Amino acid sequence: METHVTPSVNTSKRSRLWRNILLHKYLYLMLLPCLVFFIIFSYIPMTGIILAFKEYKFNAGILGSPWAGFKYFERFFNDYQSGMLIKNTLIISCMKLFIGLPFPILLALMFNEVKNRYFRNIAQSISYLPHFLSWVVVVGLTQRLLAPDNGLLNQIVGFFGGDSSVFYMMEPHYFYQIMFGSHIWKSVGWDSIIYLAAIAGVNPDMYEAAKMDGASRTREIWHITLPSIQPTILILFILSLGNILSAGFDQLYLLRTPGNMHLAEILDTYVIRVGLQGGQYGYATAVGLMQGLIGLILVVAANRISKKVSDTSLW
Amino acid sequence: MLRKNTWVRLLTIPLILTLLLAGCTGNDKGTDNKTAQPESNQTDQGTNNGSTDSGKPATWIADRKVKGLVFMGTDDYTEDMNPEIKAKLKELTGIDLEVEIMVADHSIDGLIAGLASNDLPDFITFYLNNSGRPEMPVILKAAREEMFTDLAPLMKDTKVYSKYLQDDYLPLDTRYGVMFRPEFNGSTYFIHMNVARQGGYATRKYAGGPYIRKDIADALGVDPRTINTTEKLYELAKKIKAGNFKDNNGKDVVPIGPNYWGGQEIGVLFNDLEWGSDDQRIKKDASGTILHESQTPYALKKVEYIQKLLKEKLIHPEFFTMDESRATEGALNGTWAIIGNAHNYQEFNRDMHYLPLGPIDFVDRPYQMQVDFKSGYSGWAIPTTTKNPEDIMKLADFLASREGKLLWQYGLEGRDYTLDAKGNPLAKKEVIDLKVSNPEEAKKLGFAGVGNSWGELLGGTDTDRMADFGEMEYGDAVAPEVNAGALKIADYWGWEEKRKNAKIVDGYTPLSFIGEFEHGTELKAAFENYDDSLIRAYYAKNMDEAKKILDSASKQLEATGLQQFLELLKTKDADPKTHVKL
Repeated sequence: METHVTPSVNTSKRSRLWRNILLHKYLYLMLLPCLVFFIIFSYIPMTGIILAFKEYKFNAGILGSPWAGFKYFERFFNDYQSGMLIKNTLIISCMKLFIGLPFPILLALMFNEVKNRYFRNIAQSISYLPHFLSWVVVVGLTQRLLAPDNGLLNQIVGFFGGDSSVFYMMEPHYFYQIMFGSHIWKSVGWDSIIYLAAIAGVNPDMYEAAKMDGASRTREIWHITLPSIQPTILILFILSLGNILSAGFDQLYLLRTPGNMHLAEILDTYVIRVGLQGGQYGYATAVGLMQGLIGLILVVAANRISKKVSDTSLW
Repeated sequence: MLRKNTWVRLLTIPLILTLLLAGCTGNDKGTDNKTAQPESNQTDQGTNNGSTDSGKPATWIADRKVKGLVFMGTDDYTEDMNPEIKAKLKELTGIDLEVEIMVADHSIDGLIAGLASNDLPDFITFYLNNSGRPEMPVILKAAREEMFTDLAPLMKDTKVYSKYLQDDYLPLDTRYGVMFRPEFNGSTYFIHMNVARQGGYATRKYAGGPYIRKDIADALGVDPRTINTTEKLYELAKKIKAGNFKDNNGKDVVPIGPNYWGGQEIGVLFNDLEWGSDDQRIKKDASGTILHESQTPYALKKVEYIQKLLKEKLIHPEFFTMDESRATEGALNGTWAIIGNAHNYQEFNRDMHYLPLGPIDFVDRPYQMQVDFKSGYSGWAIPTTTKNPEDIMKLADFLASREGKLLWQYGLEGRDYTLDAKGNPLAKKEVIDLKVSNPEEAKKLGFAGVGNSWGELLGGTDTDRMADFGEMEYGDAVAPEVNAGALKIADYWGWEEKRKNAKIVDGYTPLSFIGEFEHGTELKAAFENYDDSLIRAYYAKNMDEAKKILDSASKQLEATGLQQFLELLKTKDADPKTHVKL
């Protein structure tokens, strides 16, 4: 009888699970602090999302404050800046996501081709270093390099007879180049590590076979290396899609000048400026929630597409 | 297989550890309830001289620990109290005071986070220049949501703070805008600080504004005080450029450099092109109509002027954006022939190698010093969670009394100062010498004279240093040379004469009322957009592009209700209780 079969299957599955857990009890015990960490610092704080629907009062706390419905969402979409904010955020994050994607892959491929171990190690270390600098330092350096008159770039331009008084940071015309350039400079070395690791995992026999067939290095890269690391590229790309509405707060907040503000103001800086600095927690949470939800939808959609097209997926 | 109790143990151990860790982080409310005594058990609370029958001083309050949380910058306040000063305060009042500064990128962020945490100590302090300051809506929200204790009944029995209840003591904004707001019905939930005892009283002879290198002014034969229009400033800048002057490193000087504290819009340098102060941009015209700068031709005039300066390389290209370290470095190296904004009390200019320039005339009349009848700065409040809030009020009242001020401004008698025949403190020479030679070490002595301002948080009000201590500045009576440079600059600038002819005003800044305006949030964003757009316009390729940028910002202002806000200001200005500084 069917009604009896299902519970027995479930029971046996459950007992098998418990047997498995008991068998590897020490491994599971090691997992415990990790679980506790995530519950305390990731899942419990997630309940704060409720603030997006609450009229927050200092004395009543999150749960005690009255409900606000979809007021904050309506307010955001009625704000004259919302269109500009979404547009700017999408442009900047798409630039980082799509245009920035090949850079660490190319760097990893280049490092893989360097045969001198010492040179490769030094070059790799140098390329990682900017990752450890804070955006305050990086933007400070950028400002000095691009300063009008005495900045290095202006001096070089002046040396070759060009206009040496350009205030690059203030001109909207140069904003995307500065934003993208500094982002790549800071992240390319670090991001290439994972691709290097994936390349290291490629079976050397395949290269041997290719060589036997007379393939050049370029052919090897095109037909062996790139297809081999394709799942890694796809997985990282899908994960990055989750942050499509978070274009990087620190960098943009620091790069923002009155001259480029109509391009550099994004949802993240808006949340901090209007939401948190103005004490409007509910509003800030609503905008943040919207960013997260859109990110989640994109990740799920991209995962499905990827699964259908290439059989590579997160789940 | 693990037995059931083994599992319980395995789960219990991390749980206990977590609880232990959580416990160690503390939930210190600051109030030591064990030592806090009910008011009825306490001895005389007054700040009168003499002692009580129980052998405790007349200044005795209660034997308890009091903790304060400061939502202000670490540069302005210090949390380390000198142990001897702390002990003296304990001896006089029974209070064991502890001050903690909440570090945040912006003090207002810390304030909001602190209030939202709902875990506040005995008292909190915050910045509050006037009711237009960004902190005001935050603390107002907290007061309306019953986060703070009503201080009005507690103030009645105090010696100093009871003055706040007198009709003529507080300036208009402090009285009706900050503390006794009409909706509070006679209650008040925070104290506005740094109110002068006498109207129009100035604690320092400030000569702020642009400064020019003395050697350059001398070489050009220019009296800096005659530069009273932006046109003359332009001519002077051209002469400086043509003079090929060098800085300390042998590099060309920049004719007009930024503010000493970093690049920003500086009203004092372009007074005759500024409509209202640079943080308000609202002012009455000759016919009495209240206008925003965007509704006047001055915005474009200023853009035209700045573009001219930028084009001819007479002003530093990063004048509006430069970071503080570079701006200060340029001033110290003499790279800026004219520093956009500085003042006479700065250490680097004790020898007067920079002289004050101008002042530049106003947009519609010659320069005239404006002095607030009285003003306020910073504030404090007692959370409703604090036990026996009257003790905090009494502590504040003691610190605001002469005896209290003597302790936190001058330190300990014998160790840090002696008293002259009139009873005024004479700072010890060795303390002053230490302050000059090693300011950080001197600060450890723990009082305001050497740069440790813990007492100012609750006690810095009812200010009249001359009446209280016989000197305008700490140490003047013993070492007048410390402030001699600053006072010489003030004399050169004609401070006394300007002060004699000063206009004394008592009123609100226009933007103080933006919180009352229906579309205040949107309009505030539009004002910020206008400020940014103005700077964008300075760097526009030509005047047509600049005009487009400004037109767009003006349209935004109009769309978010600028005209209605100006109408509101008109109504407010007509009411003597809410007179607006226009």
